[in-house]
Amino acid sequence: MPGRAAAERVRKAIALVNAVADGAGDEDITPTEIAEAIRDCLELREIEQGSNVRKYLGEALDAVSDGMPADFVAMTLYAALGAIGESRSTS
Amino acid sequence: MRSAEGRGRTLDEAVDAALIELGESRRNVDVRVISEGPEETVVEVSVIDHSAPSLGAVGTSPTNGKADVARSLVEGLLKHMGVRAQVTVRTGTDPITLDISGRDLGALIGWRGETLRALQSVTNVMLGKHLAEGERVIVDVERYRQRREHTVREIALRAARQVKMTGDAITLDAMQAFERRAIHLALQDDPDVGSSSIGEEPDRRVVVGPRKPAGS
Repeated sequence: MPGRAAAERVRKAIALVNAVADGAGDEDITPTEIAEAIRDCLELREIEQGSNVRKYLGEALDAVSDGMPADFVAMTLYAALGAIGESRSTS
Repeated sequence: MRSAEGRGRTLDEAVDAALIELGESRRNVDVRVISEGPEETVVEVSVIDHSAPSLGAVGTSPTNGKADVARSLVEGLLKHMGVRAQVTVRTGTDPITLDISGRDLGALIGWRGETLRALQSVTNVMLGKHLAEGERVIVDVERYRQRREHTVREIALRAARQVKMTGDAITLDAMQAFERRAIHLALQDDPDVGSSSIGEEPDRRVVVGPRKPAGS
């Protein structure tokens, strides 16, 4: 199914960011790990199917490197996830 | 504010006991866990006062001001989304918690609470300048988050009982960070059983096992 692998990778990045925001207190997640998870998403060719997916992922990556709050990064990744969903529903 | 203490073998039983005493339904109450043990759980159940000052413009404390701004913001977001729902501020909670209630709000919760979590992220980003550093607003729909926390706490206590009987560690299903946090908090005072987490997001799991003696 188109977009499925991309959605899974974006969800993994979101889970990392949410773990930082929600503070379960059982892991140390570094910005580098979150950035790596987002880069993993950007490597997938299927993200090109959604018009704004790459844009949102790029913004999320910039937000991580700029030290923006976790909720901001999460919001941008949710936007990417939504764009993947839209590309799936129109493909 | 009316409240009652409830006792039971499980969290649900304790809450139900208090609800019967109050003559209220779960939707109209706040639940505070006083103690949770393998034999008995004690809770304090308080009826939510919908006319409390923290819900309206009467409140003047900084916290109430922030809560009002947050409530208005979420109401606006829901209006733009075409969702008809009521937003209230849960009283006596820290951090500020907004409850969204209405009919057919399943779509607002989404798969494993994903849409709800996204709404919370957007809310916190939009409220950024009103919040102190590290301060966050929790958004809940039909008490989904609260119910999930209660459920995973129940799972944790059940697992702890089993660990005490068998001495073997139990690995629970993959959970989100706020759920894992609820489990760690539920077991933190248990002298015999402890919790830790293994794996990577989003498949990170809590392991409930015998607590190692200090110094070993």
